[in-house]
Amino acid sequence: MAGAYIRGVGLSCALGEDAESGVSAMQRRQVRPVVLRLDEFDEPLQMPYYRIPDRAELFDAGRLERLLPPVARAAVAQAGLTPEEIHRLPLFIGSSCFSIGLSESRYAAALAHQSETAIPMPLCGYQDIAAILQRALACRGDTYTYNTACTASANALLGALRMIELGWYRHALVVGAEWANRTTLAGFSGLQIVADALRPFDAARKGIVLGEGIGAVVLSAETDSANRLRVIGGASNCDTWSVTTANTNGKSVAAVLNQALEQTHLRPRQVRGIKAHGTATPAGDTAEALGIRQVFAGLPPLSVLKPYLGHTLGACGINELILFAGALQRSFLPATPGFETPDPALGVQPIITPEAAPDGHYLLNHFGFGGNNTVLVLEKTAP
Amino acid sequence: MIQAISASDYLQPVHDGAALPPLEAALKNLCRERFRRIDRFIQLALLGSARCVAGRTLQPDCGIYLGSGLGPIGNNILTQQQLIRDAEIPKPVNFVNTLGSSAGFHVARNLGLRGQNFFISRRGASLQAVLGAAMADLTHGVVGQALVGVVEEVTLPLGEHRLRQHLPEDRTLAEGSHWFVLQPGTGDSRSLDLKRFAEFATLEDFLKSVWRTGDRLCCARSMETHAAKTMQRGFDAGALSGPTSAFHDSLEAAWLAAFAVSREPGTLFLVDGHPERGWSLFYLGA
Repeated sequence: MAGAYIRGVGLSCALGEDAESGVSAMQRRQVRPVVLRLDEFDEPLQMPYYRIPDRAELFDAGRLERLLPPVARAAVAQAGLTPEEIHRLPLFIGSSCFSIGLSESRYAAALAHQSETAIPMPLCGYQDIAAILQRALACRGDTYTYNTACTASANALLGALRMIELGWYRHALVVGAEWANRTTLAGFSGLQIVADALRPFDAARKGIVLGEGIGAVVLSAETDSANRLRVIGGASNCDTWSVTTANTNGKSVAAVLNQALEQTHLRPRQVRGIKAHGTATPAGDTAEALGIRQVFAGLPPLSVLKPYLGHTLGACGINELILFAGALQRSFLPATPGFETPDPALGVQPIITPEAAPDGHYLLNHFGFGGNNTVLVLEKTAP
Repeated sequence: MIQAISASDYLQPVHDGAALPPLEAALKNLCRERFRRIDRFIQLALLGSARCVAGRTLQPDCGIYLGSGLGPIGNNILTQQQLIRDAEIPKPVNFVNTLGSSAGFHVARNLGLRGQNFFISRRGASLQAVLGAAMADLTHGVVGQALVGVVEEVTLPLGEHRLRQHLPEDRTLAEGSHWFVLQPGTGDSRSLDLKRFAEFATLEDFLKSVWRTGDRLCCARSMETHAAKTMQRGFDAGALSGPTSAFHDSLEAAWLAAFAVSREPGTLFLVDGHPERGWSLFYLGA
């Protein structure tokens, strides 16, 4: 049996602290970044940021441990897994930052206390998110932690999907986690691609706006009669043109789109819509737009979700899948706030008002540093 | 059937008071282009992968599966010092290379690959994670060939490196880059297989049925202790050919790679698991 069903979801992002309210907020076109200021540098950094609307201090060291478990529990509860199934549940995790925020806090505290003995990177490795989840859910299954920049959680989902299809696992919990930390905020600022607002595919686009978000999906080989959404495949490739962006001629993007279609035995005309990656960087949107145009003679409707929750980097694959899937369940394709003026060089325009989402197949695009391009294919069917 | 058509094994102990071994000269001979501003983790990945491929032309869509317990720790230390201690914005190259996928990017570029490129970790069991993912994709037919590697970097001072990993002060450390080229088919190369078991007794029964005198057994460090002892008692395991005195986070990769590059007869079985999550058995045959 090809594909795996989305049996349960959990989400916490700028749109709200559960998936349903997140989709509702997106339907209402809620766009609420806050202004963030980092004063520790010679020249203070100020940027818009989409934060999870909890009341904790943004860089609080205990925040991840508080935010992560409820999201995972929500997904598992909605999936209706038995205690035995939860016990053996494998975890597939995608993130760019992992526990770097905790490591920063501990190093800063050690420097303040006794600078001579302070050790940088006191926490290292990638296992902390898995450890938090295993403690919270009392699950002991295998873990796979992906660090492929902005495609990390999409690739984690691909990995889970393929192992479910092989019968290695019946269910898998796929988690995307990105939360505020200084390394990410200062690092992207140093790259000079942070903009004052997200304008995907717009002629005046200037760059990304960062966000934080934690999403969890229970993928399952089995479904119930009410389930209408199935991930049926996808593809990933590597573009070695530049470490920070896909080739702006669009060829590697077109290649991965074609691979995803071929792998799922679809033709371009069968695609009902695309959730674009839409980082709103000049080069990133160029590569994506030109790639899409090379594959699709007639363009399907295009939605970009980052204006709602910011660019949640390694978690965007799962976070945006949850929001897009939620919209499909309510039979609409989300509008794209921030898009106003078409860029003639791109030749694509995201939809600016919600459109109907019929049954059929949808593509979800993700591109990341390290040359990673990943496309997921989602199928919506009648109940 | 999946074959390991090539393997390479770089394992270098690093002793207290010594500098890290220079890699530049070796890389100059192995790389198609001169990569600038790359950190040691990327250097190690380039070194091991290029040695593994060793003049062989891989399929352009060969998938890369890079695993590591600690990842680019040296670059991450530098970045964190810039940011927290010095209150400076990290240099773009340092920030970008904090991502594990930067190493995979350079490996792909050096070898002319454009297939999928994954960085996957499971701390001390990262070999098992990347091998599992690669074998799933090969079995699935998603890729026709897989370049699988595990890289672990050592940073100076060694005392801090040990502290980060909660290791005793006298533990000898090593850095490593261990790689395999896998593809479906049969031939003269060593075969690699993976079986998964829900019950330990079934695993034991299977292993008894295939075990031959001279075979090697490697119980992963992440394996449940009681089961590992049972396994080691139950089989004439023989001495592992891999080094055991120097530590890095993915030593299982060193054992498997050392066996793969050797011409020793028999099969190496790598077993891992826990009663609560099930068991996996990787075996690299003659």
